[in-house]
Amino acid sequence: MQFASNAFRAPHRTGRAGRALALATLLAIAGLAPAFAGDVVVICNLDVKLAPADVKDVFIGEKVFAGAVRLVPADNTALQASFLDKVMKLDAGKYTGIWTKKSFRDGANPPPVKANDAEVIAFVKSTVGACGYVASEPAGVAVIAKF
Amino acid sequence: MRKSLPQHALGLGLVALLGAGLPSAALATVSETERLNELQQKLDQSLRMIDALATRVRELEAKETATAAAVAQKPAAPAAEDAHRIESVEQKIAQIETANASHRVDESSLPIHGFADVGAGTHNPLNPDLKGFNVGNFDLYLTPKLGDHTRSLVELNVEVGDDGSVGLDLERAQIGYQFGDTATVWLGRFHTPYGYTNTALHHGGWIATALERAKFLNFEDHGGILPNHTVGAWATGAVRTSGGRVLWDVYTGNSQQIIGGVVDMRNAGNGSGNLMVGGRLAYEFKSGAVDGLTLGLFGFTAKIADDQLPVHETRLRVLGAHVVYDTDAFENMAEYYYFSNDDLSGNTGSHKSQAGYVQLGYRAAWGVPYLRYERTVLDQADQQASGGSYHRGAAGVRFDLDIKSALKFEVSNTRDTDRLNDQYNEALVQYAIRF
Repeated sequence: MQFASNAFRAPHRTGRAGRALALATLLAIAGLAPAFAGDVVVICNLDVKLAPADVKDVFIGEKVFAGAVRLVPADNTALQASFLDKVMKLDAGKYTGIWTKKSFRDGANPPPVKANDAEVIAFVKSTVGACGYVASEPAGVAVIAKF
Repeated sequence: MRKSLPQHALGLGLVALLGAGLPSAALATVSETERLNELQQKLDQSLRMIDALATRVRELEAKETATAAAVAQKPAAPAAEDAHRIESVEQKIAQIETANASHRVDESSLPIHGFADVGAGTHNPLNPDLKGFNVGNFDLYLTPKLGDHTRSLVELNVEVGDDGSVGLDLERAQIGYQFGDTATVWLGRFHTPYGYTNTALHHGGWIATALERAKFLNFEDHGGILPNHTVGAWATGAVRTSGGRVLWDVYTGNSQQIIGGVVDMRNAGNGSGNLMVGGRLAYEFKSGAVDGLTLGLFGFTAKIADDQLPVHETRLRVLGAHVVYDTDAFENMAEYYYFSNDDLSGNTGSHKSQAGYVQLGYRAAWGVPYLRYERTVLDQADQQASGGSYHRGAAGVRFDLDIKSALKFEVSNTRDTDRLNDQYNEALVQYAIRF
């Protein structure tokens, strides 16, 4: 009887989950997902071997290679505030200031900026050495650390 | 579905009639009158039942119509709500796209960066004899993306000289190969890696907290006494440790020449073939109580000639140290230079000189106030001494109007102590941007 009851309710639950999934997808596309997510997941292309302790150095240009692979970090506008706060321990002004000085001194270029998780995931999957950060763990990438 | 209810009612009525008629056939022996009365009663009951059923059917039909109307009207409200939410999301997407457009960095293969500044003061920052408004530097530097290991940096600076003329300088033109995180080798023209200011805060008003740099560190064509640029080869890198990084530089290049009283870096080579050789070693603390502290030592030597007849040659030796404490709250820095020059063409012997400065800055929420003290003691018997000794005290404040522009104010007092024996005060303002 319990089974039959659950079976009867299943379509209702699927409907809610479907709507939630659709809403989450829409919000993710709109770049609003971080407002509801607490995690920052640092991901890299599958060919990158990186320690969690290296993440900060990668995103300020002090670690440029992981073995023979040149690292290509990318920022995520939708999640950047959380990333700078939780991982880098910097505010946006200081972060951009660091890159301005780094670029002027060493000729290094600051990370390209992606709009949201979807763009970051696509970039990381398709670019050798790419690293980024997203709100939830996707498939097909190397998860370096969760903050 | 709506038509099935009356059909059921009629069916029920017919069944009731039939049900009522069946007993009458079984009572054939009862008297005709009694049968008629009994049939009349049952007919009345059946009619009442039919009326009751018809009433019930009307009630059910009315209820179903109301329900259908409610169902038909209900989607209108959610549709309006969804439209509002979609419009809200679209607005947010547009806002984010606008924000992204302003935050995006140049992702082309040839990123262009730069600085510019303008100002005003009771004395021109480069020439104390001039006052009023002034145009500072318009500095462009290119960092083309060339590959995994090859790097390039080209910097052009449009500057106004201390006589007001506008000139274009190729500040840096360097191409390098990056072996890894620990080593990069550059060839070309680069900022000579000594001390802190010359490589970290060379050009660009925005990049430095203070409105002016220490006077003795000015550029070669603005009265500076040091070779800010070198044309040669430069190996540089960093080695990470558990508590920080070891920063190292080794370089060689054309020995500079003094032409018309100005240090020239000999872009096309020098006639003598003399080389400048130098290095810098520093440790940057990145953890613990001294996080943000950098301690460094540096030195270089060169054989410097001038354009006089007969030619004067000097063996230049410079040793120094720098300390930087750069944290969220403080930006403090100090550099010290010790010169030991030998006269190679005359008989004036060796000459010792010193120069240094200390600058203290505090990063408050509203701005960055700072204090700086500079002092040089330059042996004027040194044939190659290109500057005079002086004291200077300065106080200023920097306001970051946004992440790309800053407004700075500085007042200072300078007292020359040997060559000119002069004293003057300055009040300066600078508006500096980066892009």
